Amino acid sequence: MLSENAVKEIGLIRNKYHDAQSSLLPALYVVQKEHGWLSPEALKEVGEILNVPKAEVKGVSTFYAMFRHRPIGRHLIQLCTNVACMIMGSESLLNILKERYGLEPNGTTGDGRFSLVVMECIGACGTAPAMLVDTDFHDNLTEERIVNILEKYK
Amino acid sequence: MPKDIIIELTINGKNIKAEQGMTILQAAQKNGIYIPNMCYDRRLKPYGGCRLCVVELEGQKRLFAACSTPAEDGMIVHTETPKLAKARKTVLELLLVHHPLDCPICDKAGECDLQDLAFKYGPSQSRFTAERKHDPERVDAPIVERNPNRCILCGKCVRVCAEHQGVGAINLIGRGFKTKVSPAFEETLNCEFCGQCIDACPVGALGAKPYRFRSRVWYMDEYEAICPYCGCGCTTNLSLREGRIIRARGKDGIGINEGNLCGKGRFGFDYIYSENRITTPMIKKDGKLVPVSWEEALQYVAKRLEDIKGKYGPSAIGAIGSQRCTIEDNYMLQKFMREVVGTDNIDSVARFGYAKAQKALEKAYDVDFMPIKWKAPLNADFMLVVESDITSTLPVWGLNFIKAKNDGATLVVADVKETKLARNSTQWLRIKPGSGTALLNGMMKVIIDGGLYDKDKTSAVPNFDALTAGLKEFTPQAVSNITGISEDAIISLARSYAYPGKRLIALTSNISENTKSMNTILAAANLAILMGDDPDTVQVPAEFSNTAGMWMSGVRPLSGGKDVYDMLYEPGAVKALYIMGENPIVTFQDAARVEKTLKGLELLIVQDIFLKEAARIADVVLPACSWAEKEGTFMSATGNIQKTPKLVAETGQSVPDWKIFRNLARVMNKDLGLKDITAIRAAIADMIVSGETKDIRRSFNPASYEVMETVSEEYPMFLVTSNILQHSGALSVLSKNLDSVVSDAYLQVNTKDAKKHGIHDDAFVRVKSKRGEVYLKAMLSDEVPEGTVFAPLHFAHAKVNALTYPSLNGGLPLVAVSIEAA
Ligand code: SF4
Ligand code: SF4
Ligand code: SF4
Ligand code: FES
Ligand code: FES
Repeated sequence: MLSENAVKEIGLIRNKYHDAQSSLLPALYVVQKEHGWLSPEALKEVGEILNVPKAEVKGVSTFYAMFRHRPIGRHLIQLCTNVACMIMGSESLLNILKERYGLEPNGTTGDGRFSLVVMECIGACGTAPAMLVDTDFHDNLTEERIVNILEKYK
Repeated sequence: MPKDIIIELTINGKNIKAEQGMTILQAAQKNGIYIPNMCYDRRLKPYGGCRLCVVELEGQKRLFAACSTPAEDGMIVHTETPKLAKARKTVLELLLVHHPLDCPICDKAGECDLQDLAFKYGPSQSRFTAERKHDPERVDAPIVERNPNRCILCGKCVRVCAEHQGVGAINLIGRGFKTKVSPAFEETLNCEFCGQCIDACPVGALGAKPYRFRSRVWYMDEYEAICPYCGCGCTTNLSLREGRIIRARGKDGIGINEGNLCGKGRFGFDYIYSENRITTPMIKKDGKLVPVSWEEALQYVAKRLEDIKGKYGPSAIGAIGSQRCTIEDNYMLQKFMREVVGTDNIDSVARFGYAKAQKALEKAYDVDFMPIKWKAPLNADFMLVVESDITSTLPVWGLNFIKAKNDGATLVVADVKETKLARNSTQWLRIKPGSGTALLNGMMKVIIDGGLYDKDKTSAVPNFDALTAGLKEFTPQAVSNITGISEDAIISLARSYAYPGKRLIALTSNISENTKSMNTILAAANLAILMGDDPDTVQVPAEFSNTAGMWMSGVRPLSGGKDVYDMLYEPGAVKALYIMGENPIVTFQDAARVEKTLKGLELLIVQDIFLKEAARIADVVLPACSWAEKEGTFMSATGNIQKTPKLVAETGQSVPDWKIFRNLARVMNKDLGLKDITAIRAAIADMIVSGETKDIRRSFNPASYEVMETVSEEYPMFLVTSNILQHSGALSVLSKNLDSVVSDAYLQVNTKDAKKHGIHDDAFVRVKSKRGEVYLKAMLSDEVPEGTVFAPLHFAHAKVNALTYPSLNGGLPLVAVSIEAA
């Protein structure tokens, strides 16, 4: 069930656009922000609010890579492993995550604290290796730094 | 874009003309030039997904997709060059990477676009290798099977379903190679099963289950016929193998439907193969129907009719015609009755349906018959649909409302149910059941009080004062109480309706619908006249394949004879009844009363294709040919008279209805003078004229709002009845295909009401009205609001008509019921 706030927000979004289709993407963001992912129930609800068939809601949400269809942890780590970051040691960072938190790419920690996605270049090659935690950006990572940073996310 | 601007361009060296706004592909097609294409569909917005339609434009380096590039004046286009052949070959190669190449067992083989194009342009081998798709086929849903492996992801099915059909049951789920056409969550497909997606699919990825593995396309012959179901009069293309119809398709551009069909037309043809068909004449002997020869049966009918005529006079004999039988059949029925029996007691079920519309329009415009205009919705700016599920009753015509809305017109739907049109509307007003008449009256009151009507045109129309007097009580406040919508909503609806532009009101009038009456149609006509609009801004279609034709061929009392109300609800009004192609015990309201009247007759003759309720209690049963077993003509709701051919052999000893009357007349020593279908056609040619030629005389007719039954403590809810999309009267339930979609009656109950009464989904509910009680399976749904339940009438054994009652004219036959978990 979407919260009252989310429903209200989606209603406001709907009014901004000429047709329901156009309001679909921003509406899905609202849901993902609230739940962390898009459950089938939430997709159905969005369809009902916007009067868009649920098949279309699902179709659109599976087309765009930024929408998640499985629950994720409270914090999403997006770690870059592309060329520059790889050269600067992102592999050892992956190992740390695995050893310390039992976290593998596309996985979630048992306590639901972290999820990990491996990224292709997040545009920080000059200060590689780099990652995003939720919407916070962190670069010049070392084995020590990454642990210190992550400890701030409970 | 203005259509009338003509541009000129050159395609493959040929100068052609096209309308501005056309794409290159459309311009080419219009001029008979073929450009390969796989994702283009005339009915849909350009998509440009498959890239097979690429063409070269002189002066341009890159290739252009013809389906999504507008044609321009002076353009020089090439559609077949080595460069294009190479591009198309590559596209096909890429499509074939994942395609299973299981043509030998694919039902599409022989008429598959991919096969044909690969043959024309394609390589025999792909340079690319990758994993072939190997998803399981999905055959779990009724009617529609999906084979995702054969899918080329052109998206036509998805777009037809959403854009054109207004449903959106399926979509392209996922991205890249893994994309699949599927319902949202890979669940079993649950849609309206129109099959439009199947016809649209260029390959064998979607199929009709009833046709699965039944034939190869090259073993079949295809014929055009007219669909036997509703008043749209769609042309359906029937494929026959060894004398049997095995599939029906719509063919792009063919018929008034231009290739669209609904599920009834596409899958419902198999009713003619029902096990219930009557194969020989039968006479009741010692209380049992026993097979006899035609000779014995006709002799018997002749003698009994003569006896009754001798004893009580000809007016003791009556007949009921059929909206499903051809014009020829109905014409011969009334001719036989009038000339051989000598009675004018001839009528049909249309008395409670289309005849109400007829009567209303006659009062309002003084015309006898008002055909609908197929394209009327497409010419309107503002459409108001009052308590009518048009996409269920006349499904393909209903699509025009969706199209008009998609093209920018306003569609307002006033209905208690969340119908498909309501879902596709600009605004849906959920009014209380049966309150449409009051809503229309309320709109007129606002319009008159605000001086928004056409004063010039109405000044000459009689009865304006009576109209305003009649509207006095319909203040926004009063109408808000009746309809349950706000005063503001009523006022703003009236104002936007009165806003300059092309208006349209559409509603249906069918026996199965109990939320409208003659007065609803009168009110609609009053409103149109008030606004100074033409009569064709009020669109009321005739319901079935030949409702209009039956009416025009004289199946109704013409000189004071008894109508169907007298014959079926007034025991003793007639002593003998001849019923052709109708099962009054199921289709007519208050079924118990009808059955009692029929049982009290001295002679009941039923001439039909099925042995159903009425036939079982008849004294004589005569086997008639079904629609595909005889030649004949139908008149559709648009007034089109269309021939439909004999395609399959007669079942058993069945005979076309018209021929039975010809033969019976001969046995009774009368010759009706018409020995074959050509002679009948000649005889009726001048009798059937469409109502358009006559001059129109407008008048206002105050339409009161009369509810015949209200809710009470004992019966606190309203029961709404009507046709549902997958069925049509009591005929379609004999189609196994359609039965696989909806096979049983049900009662739609709002989830909150269900909770209140402890009713669970799919569990039985006892439904009671003053007249009787029935048990129905509950379907919990928010398509109906609290306080209202809905049931379809098609299913004989469910006996929903035990609850209902008839209304001939202005009264609304709303039914108050109580429900409880059984
Ligand atoms: S059968 Fe009709 S409603 Fe069902 S998916 Fe196909 S187009 Fe859509
Ligand atoms: S199922 Fe057919 S129509 Fe639908 S996307 Fe696939 S190939 Fe196209
Ligand atoms: S819309 Fe009517 S005539 Fe057309 S296919 Fe459906 S039932 Fe037949
Ligand atoms: S490669 Fe990691 S940020 Fe560019
Ligand atoms: S038909 Fe033009 S891209 Fe498919």
